Amino acid sequence: MTGVSRDEIERIARLAALDVDSEALSVLTEQIAEILDYVSQLEMVDTGVGLADSVWLGEDQPQPLRADETRSLDAAANPASFAPEFEDNLIVVPMLGAIEDV
Amino acid sequence: MNGVLDRARTAMVGIEQVEARGVNAVISYDRDTLLEQARRVARDRVDGPLAGLVFGIKDNICTLEYPTTCASRILEGYRSPYEATAVTRIKQAGGLIACKTNLDEFAMGSSTELSAYGRTKHPEDPDRVAGGSSGGSVALVAAGAVDAALGSETGGSVRQPAAFCGVVGIKPSYGRVSRYGLVAFASSLDQIGVTARSVELAARVVSAISGRDRNDATSADRDQLALGPPPGDLSGVTIGIPVEYFPHDLDNGVRAACDHAIGSLRESGATVRQVSLPHTALAIPAYYIIAPAEASSNLARYDGVRYGLRMTSQGGDVASMYRATRGAGFGTEVRRRIIVGTYVLSSGYYEAYYRKALRARWLITDDFRRVFSEVDLLFAPTTPTPAFKAGEKLDDPVAMYLCDVFVAPTNLAWLPAITIPVGRSRGLPVGAQFIAPRFEEGEMIAAAAVLAGLVDAQEEFG
Repeated sequence: MTGVSRDEIERIARLAALDVDSEALSVLTEQIAEILDYVSQLEMVDTGVGLADSVWLGEDQPQPLRADETRSLDAAANPASFAPEFEDNLIVVPMLGAIEDV
Repeated sequence: MNGVLDRARTAMVGIEQVEARGVNAVISYDRDTLLEQARRVARDRVDGPLAGLVFGIKDNICTLEYPTTCASRILEGYRSPYEATAVTRIKQAGGLIACKTNLDEFAMGSSTELSAYGRTKHPEDPDRVAGGSSGGSVALVAAGAVDAALGSETGGSVRQPAAFCGVVGIKPSYGRVSRYGLVAFASSLDQIGVTARSVELAARVVSAISGRDRNDATSADRDQLALGPPPGDLSGVTIGIPVEYFPHDLDNGVRAACDHAIGSLRESGATVRQVSLPHTALAIPAYYIIAPAEASSNLARYDGVRYGLRMTSQGGDVASMYRATRGAGFGTEVRRRIIVGTYVLSSGYYEAYYRKALRARWLITDDFRRVFSEVDLLFAPTTPTPAFKAGEKLDDPVAMYLCDVFVAPTNLAWLPAITIPVGRSRGLPVGAQFIAPRFEEGEMIAAAAVLAGLVDAQEEFG
């Protein structure tokens, strides 16, 4: 079994910006340990120098790239018609410092 | 064109009956919205390849007619200001968007039990799952309420439920159908798929929504998929049977139905031979590193600022609000995958997990490349068992993940595949799939159409 601690999962949850309560944290730690244990069978895979680690596209399938250019939003309606507030061509959202009650 | 209005009214009755039975396949639906579309198609005499056909759309695909929730509390009531290219193309071809369908939250699941809107039941047996994550779309099609539906595949989420519910499911090649408007889960794997009750209709829908799209940089620079008439037989076609897809613990009924179908392939003139895809066992471990890693990045945008839910936090600062919103807005499986994804990408674990998974993905893809130099198509069971009981795997994530053992490899390798019903095991539908080289959907669909005409999907093998 991969040794992953409750503290480590709590740290990762914080990195991922997720609040997890104490009871859920215990279950998550146990289940994530099982998942990591299962995927650890990939240890046998060789990642030596010179080996490819990207998906095979095929010789005639180069990754398509979009032109590096700005263009207008392809929205079905003007943002002003669906934005809660619209001012100076910008969508106004609630101030982050004034978090409303839910 | 009264026929269009009649079709819309018939679909209304069908959808409402299915929901009255408690299947719970639908998240958003409105009679007037459907009738308005039908009147427009009739008035404008839209004469496209999908004229008058009624569609369900998985609720992680953006529509203008309905909210797009991804079956998540965090997107409750969210309305997209634009619609998916696939939806636009259905409408341009004369199709009607009837409803948004249920799914595992953000398409993360294999049973459609993990929805903020409650689980979707199997249309034939309410105690069993419909499969997932496109369970709502598939259940609605299987129940005959809509003609076809869009789903999405990241690791088999159209084919697995289609096999469980006894209908056709197509996963196109990565890049064949634009992902514009499909809410991102794992961008290197996600692809819109189609489910219908016949190979012909499912293929017609894939053709209508396919082709290059300037709004999706990963859409292939290819024309719309062209479909020819189905061949009379499979003479000249070589079909490989991968031994790894027939393990010792394969359900007896699934094995017998597939063996019977293989016999039919031979009778139709195909050359059938055994092949090996030796890295198949690495697919689920690789998938459950790559997909959560990409999900942890894609779902970072749900922070309480730009979309949907925002929770008050005790700390009162912005970071606390982010954590409170995401902690409350995401369900159990989504939180689990975000944490796994963040873990495998974090300092110290990248080499041990993510890099290994990328290499495994390459090995799996190379297996397919090698066998497709010897055979035209692959044929295999779609799932190891028929539909399982609701709740059976909810507390065991790894057991749930293994439901996708025969479908996830094709997503990792960007290949197309189609599942069709080939019989029953213990009274439940069994699906089998053809897998083709990338962008070779035409031959794959033709072979599936021939086989569908030879097998009896109601025959019992269990």
